[in-house]
Amino acid sequence: MESTAPSWMMVTWFAVVSLTIIVCLAYLARPALVRPPPKLRPNQAQPMISVVIAGRNESATIGHCIQAALRCGYSNLEVIFVDDNSSDDSVAIARRAALAVTGSRYDTNRLRIIPSPRRNGKASSLNVGIRMARGEFIVIHDADSKIQYGIMPHWLLPFEDPQVGGVVASIRVDNSTANLLTRLQELEYALKFNFGRFIQAKLGIMPIITGMGGIFRGEVLRRLGGFDSGLGDDSDLSTMLLKQRFKLTFSHDAVVWTTVPETRAHLWSQRMRWRRNCVKIRVSKHRDMFLLGRYGFARAIITIGLVLKILPPIAFVIAILWTTFVTGLLSYPEVVTSLYWIVVPLVFVRLLVIREISNTPKWINFPLVFIFPFYTLWLLLPAVYAEWAELLRIGSKHPYVPDHVWEEIPWW
Amino acid sequence: MNIRAPLPDGPDDAWVEQRRVRLLQQISELGGTILPAGEPAAKHGYRFDAAGPDVDGDLVALAKLNYLETRFFDRVRLCPRCDGHHLNVREVCPTCHSAYLTSEGLFHHFRCGYVGLPSEFLPEPDGGVRCPKCNKGMHHLGTEYDRLGKAFACHSCAVVSENPPVEAVCLGCGARMPAGDTVSANVFSYLLTSRGAEALRSGRLLEAEEQPVLAGDAGVFRREMILEFIRHQMQRQQQLGEPFSLLLATWLDGDGAAADQRGAWLDRVRRCLRSVDLVGQLGDRLYVVTLARAKGREAEALRRRIEKELGPTSPLSLSACEIKGEKDLAVALAAVLPSQEN
Repeated sequence: MESTAPSWMMVTWFAVVSLTIIVCLAYLARPALVRPPPKLRPNQAQPMISVVIAGRNESATIGHCIQAALRCGYSNLEVIFVDDNSSDDSVAIARRAALAVTGSRYDTNRLRIIPSPRRNGKASSLNVGIRMARGEFIVIHDADSKIQYGIMPHWLLPFEDPQVGGVVASIRVDNSTANLLTRLQELEYALKFNFGRFIQAKLGIMPIITGMGGIFRGEVLRRLGGFDSGLGDDSDLSTMLLKQRFKLTFSHDAVVWTTVPETRAHLWSQRMRWRRNCVKIRVSKHRDMFLLGRYGFARAIITIGLVLKILPPIAFVIAILWTTFVTGLLSYPEVVTSLYWIVVPLVFVRLLVIREISNTPKWINFPLVFIFPFYTLWLLLPAVYAEWAELLRIGSKHPYVPDHVWEEIPWW
Repeated sequence: MNIRAPLPDGPDDAWVEQRRVRLLQQISELGGTILPAGEPAAKHGYRFDAAGPDVDGDLVALAKLNYLETRFFDRVRLCPRCDGHHLNVREVCPTCHSAYLTSEGLFHHFRCGYVGLPSEFLPEPDGGVRCPKCNKGMHHLGTEYDRLGKAFACHSCAVVSENPPVEAVCLGCGARMPAGDTVSANVFSYLLTSRGAEALRSGRLLEAEEQPVLAGDAGVFRREMILEFIRHQMQRQQQLGEPFSLLLATWLDGDGAAADQRGAWLDRVRRCLRSVDLVGQLGDRLYVVTLARAKGREAEALRRRIEKELGPTSPLSLSACEIKGEKDLAVALAAVLPSQEN
């Protein structure tokens, strides 16, 4: 039987591959187009940066997180750790880390530790940190992430543009060699959080500043009153920034290392939380972003693009049915095979490009590109469940929000 | 003895001894214990109710000599620069080090997550407050909003801190330091010991006879003490049959060398001796070393070793002899100082 993948697939494939090759060639020919060198500033001109970390029961990682932030090579920096009423010894470990770096058990000019007497949720804990921050720029940082040494000048570089409200760093996987799951996540992070954001930033449609590595203008955060309770902290704040007509952008020279889930249950729980937040914020709270004229065409595209994430599973089924209808019943395996062999080279080329630019993922993880499509499909299971559960309002309580706060917040 | 009467002038040894005996007398009249009393003008914040020019120093000296026993009373923090206790200890801003801080509980509005100082929330006519972020009223503490513990807000630079550093300022010399850098000193009360009571009965301190007369790496005992040690060794020799020798050293310079020069030479002698060998002064120019459990030939070998150590310029004339009775001791002493020393 003759057959083959439909022509629209080939067109898409060629378009994406061509784009990635163009980016790669542009980088090889003119690296400064992709990676502008940071401007030299005199020490007196270093703006103050506050690193706000909020966490609950993060004793395993908080010490390294604080030390990495304090020792990132930027002098005019303070770290504020807000402990959300942990039941473990997070505060003691944080104070020990502070003692090792600053030599004092008390708050200092460089580090303040704020233990909360009651659980308030992550958003409110971050608001405590923002309230106490005095930096011109505020880094919102996760307790399981680490700031790489020397990145601050790169991270601050996009703020030369006064329209830029937030810059997301290049997220790297710290525990990428732990098991198969973390290796696949490294490929995923390289594609989504490096290559994807790089393209989005160039097109001006960056949708989100992630909570694990984002820096904001402090004045803007204070003016917004910080995060809203009961929502995913990063996407909600990013959307509010977009509504304020600020641009979000990406710095792939600013590297933040994060620890990804190592078990299936943890990973699914994380992805369900992300997808629920996406639906709750884009479809419910900020649905006015769909209006093309209200916040601008680019912002509407961002929202539409994110909402379209809900549709791929449905679109996939429809595509299979349509192809089967057109080419006959027996062509089904060939279609799947064709799709697979379109996706694999596409992913491979994108990984090669981002490897050239950002030095991630590791070469040893490249062979996993052959099973990466299956991993992506496997991750759609919790995502689709979370989307429909959120749309139908089934078990919609956010796991990071305590009951007494959840009862008070509006029903988005 | 009138203990309140002024002491005669002149800080010589006798004067100090008399002063300390009078202090013991005062402690005895206070019931055997002297307690410190709070006194802001005193250097460490406490003073003792006793008359004397240097009561604190005398109490420490008497306690060191076991005339008094110390009991812990209190601990004071002192300025490391001037040793004064007039310290102002308070929280300061971690950023600008201003002490102009006020302690306030941050408000947290559950509905919108806003966190701020109470002064940022507008008061409502019905007693509640209004959130500056979402403009909703907040009336019920615990269900609508909460206090997030205490925080210190700096009125100089507006920084809010939950655990600000504690700084001490010395009101005496103006030094500023972290509170942890101040030094601590214990304040003691003093109890009269049986030894102190004995000194009080005899009217003099017992140390006058016991303490070494020459400073150096090793002390040199007074005549009475070293003779007591020699008698003790002779008793052991007679009762237990332990051999016992003496090494006699005579100073050859007629005018007498300075005390520090003698101390230096005696230190060189001391380096050749064992830790159990005692050095004493029998006369102005005569020193003696007791060599316990040493026979005559061992003492003679030691004498030669010391002479070799001191060299040809030595101002000491050495002789060694084994003591087997009172007669040997008298002969030995007569040999070195036939005219006046024995």
